[in-house]
Amino acid sequence: MRKIIEKLSDLPNWLFVSLIFPLLALGFGEKTISILRELDIPRVWTDEAMKTWELPNPKPEYSPQPVSEEYYYAMAERTIYRSYPVYHPDYEPEGYWEWLQSLEPEVVWDPSKFITEEDWIKAGEMLFDHPIDTLGAILTNDLVRNPDFYDYVEMPLTPEGIMPFSRWVVTGKGRVRVGNLSCGMCHTRVMPDGSLIKGAQGNWAGDKASVFFATEEGFEPDNDLVRSMGFLMNALFGSPWSDGDPHGKLVSQGFDAIVKAFQSVPIGTFGRQGTSILFAPQAPDLIGVKDRKYLDHGGLGQHRGIEDMMRYIAMNQTMDILNFYGDFSPLGIPRERLISGRPIMFAGTHDRYSDEQLYALAKYVYSLTPPENPNKPSALSEKGKIIFAEQGCVTCHTPPLFTNNKLTPAEGFEIPEDHYEKYDIFDVSVGTDPNYTFNTRRSTGYYKIPSLKGLWYRGPYLHDGSISQLEDFFNHERLHEGWSPKPIKGHEFGMYLSEGDKKALVAYLLTL
Amino acid sequence: MDIGYLYIVISPCRSSRNHCVRCENLSFRDEKPNLWKEPKFMALLVFLFIPFILSAQSIKPENPIQFKIKNAGITVDGTISDWEVEVDFDPKKLAQSSIRGKANPESIQTGIKLRDKHLHGREYFHIQKFPFISLESKSFQSKGKNTFVGIFELQIRDVKREVEIPFTLSQTGKQQKFKGEFVIDRLDFGIGEKSLVLSDEVRVIIEF
Repeated sequence: MRKIIEKLSDLPNWLFVSLIFPLLALGFGEKTISILRELDIPRVWTDEAMKTWELPNPKPEYSPQPVSEEYYYAMAERTIYRSYPVYHPDYEPEGYWEWLQSLEPEVVWDPSKFITEEDWIKAGEMLFDHPIDTLGAILTNDLVRNPDFYDYVEMPLTPEGIMPFSRWVVTGKGRVRVGNLSCGMCHTRVMPDGSLIKGAQGNWAGDKASVFFATEEGFEPDNDLVRSMGFLMNALFGSPWSDGDPHGKLVSQGFDAIVKAFQSVPIGTFGRQGTSILFAPQAPDLIGVKDRKYLDHGGLGQHRGIEDMMRYIAMNQTMDILNFYGDFSPLGIPRERLISGRPIMFAGTHDRYSDEQLYALAKYVYSLTPPENPNKPSALSEKGKIIFAEQGCVTCHTPPLFTNNKLTPAEGFEIPEDHYEKYDIFDVSVGTDPNYTFNTRRSTGYYKIPSLKGLWYRGPYLHDGSISQLEDFFNHERLHEGWSPKPIKGHEFGMYLSEGDKKALVAYLLTL
Repeated sequence: MDIGYLYIVISPCRSSRNHCVRCENLSFRDEKPNLWKEPKFMALLVFLFIPFILSAQSIKPENPIQFKIKNAGITVDGTISDWEVEVDFDPKKLAQSSIRGKANPESIQTGIKLRDKHLHGREYFHIQKFPFISLESKSFQSKGKNTFVGIFELQIRDVKREVEIPFTLSQTGKQQKFKGEFVIDRLDFGIGEKSLVLSDEVRVIIEF
């Protein structure tokens, strides 16, 4: 052995170097690229990472406790079938429905074919629109084939009559199901001209849609339905440790009160699981989210790299419904029920995205760009730009991102000392409604300082969508009783500017 | 213990006492009476020092400290209104002259209340931990008639740095008026962080 080593040592160095050339040649082959690519995909759900990526609840003992790495990876990976557009019944091409029935299911997810970055982004876009539920979490086949439903929710449509918030999924021949809970369901916007902005703040009445059944003539809830509604409320919004337990109180007020709460959610906000139907959060604009340091309105998830984005997508796509908060389980299950390999049947909890799927989704979200802004700079907007600086807006909404990427405490939140080291804190409250970040499962005690980019295509504004138009930010009447539907507190800037200055400021904001 | 302005009043006494400790030791050998225990001697000392003490004038200036900083291309004018200064300045005795000032950053005003509140916070002045900004002269140089340059130690938060402040003096009778202007880099003192829109340089104008 020693002799062999000695002989090898005598060989010239260039000979060893030359051995690498065939490997380099192989390096440009598809297979090797594929191997290298796989190496880039982070393992998302590790016990270690899940401990620290989320901020704690203001009552730390109720901070989210996600399922274990072992449980998570024992879940089946999602099967992604080809999906098809949903038309308003009056616009559906003749024979479309029958054609859908004739189709065979087609699995369309095949990462072995993804070579370039573009391939991953394209695959991510497909996943973005792909529903994770076909069991009727919100929309059912009957609903989307009922023209009255479209009228009830004032459903925005594309010029072709497509309802872009959902897709038909063919899971078996003749088994055509309308899908729910795709990313696109909340993050797709139909503009007044019918054009679509994917990734933008969604604009359809998803929560109102959930209770369409209760508006049908002669409807009377039976006991089973009332009980189910109570369960659903707890699963989606229960946070009994919150001061005054607002969701528990709502359930105790009865079925009609719950229906009314669903109907009152402003378009552009959604009562997503873990949030609230009483103070539903604005559907975030995902365009530009690549540059944000925190995810969720309360900054629940840190965003330090693509793996955090992947974690947030996994969590947001209902994995968090399996969380424990103290001893509270949204689904009312005991801890012992979380057994690896024995999934829990609820929308989005019986299977999971693969890490590759999450990677593709994150890549797509990162690739989103805004459409061309029709509001070009003008003399008025330039005046507004100066006012924007003079009024100190730049301190929080700092160009070029128009956010300083920090967390601002809700009024009354005492910032724990260690947070100053761990997180990016802007330690002044602007006094907006604290309910979302105090009284939900996603509470942190903070609000993320939002970017002002893309204000022209979005709205309503503020974390709770309580401001319907930009002008209202600068109207001091909104602070007082008499403002409909209720006073909007906080963010009291620019309220005493002249009318001309306010117009200039709004003109500038619309150019961002 | 930081006793602030009291230091100015007490320090001459302390230095005298140090001196007299030596005397005391000598007197111990000579078994002379201990003068420090003599009330009359103490009264005399106080009487002798009164003019000296009074020469360091304590002023609560009418004009606030002004500062200017560029934010997003716009110059923001701010003030710190609560401040005091102790002056013992004789243009003919620069080596013996001194100027000391203390300012309360809680009184900062920039025209936007929430911004002021933010400046109180730990990212900026952190007033809970550092309730004062202080400035203390080290040396003076004359630069012409009524024009001087002083080397001062400026402390903001827990950072002490020497700054050079050119200033003018106009004197009417016993009344002295000073005006100085200087520039600091706020990052040197841990005031905020590097920003794309907020400049590092802050121009400070002091008049009293």
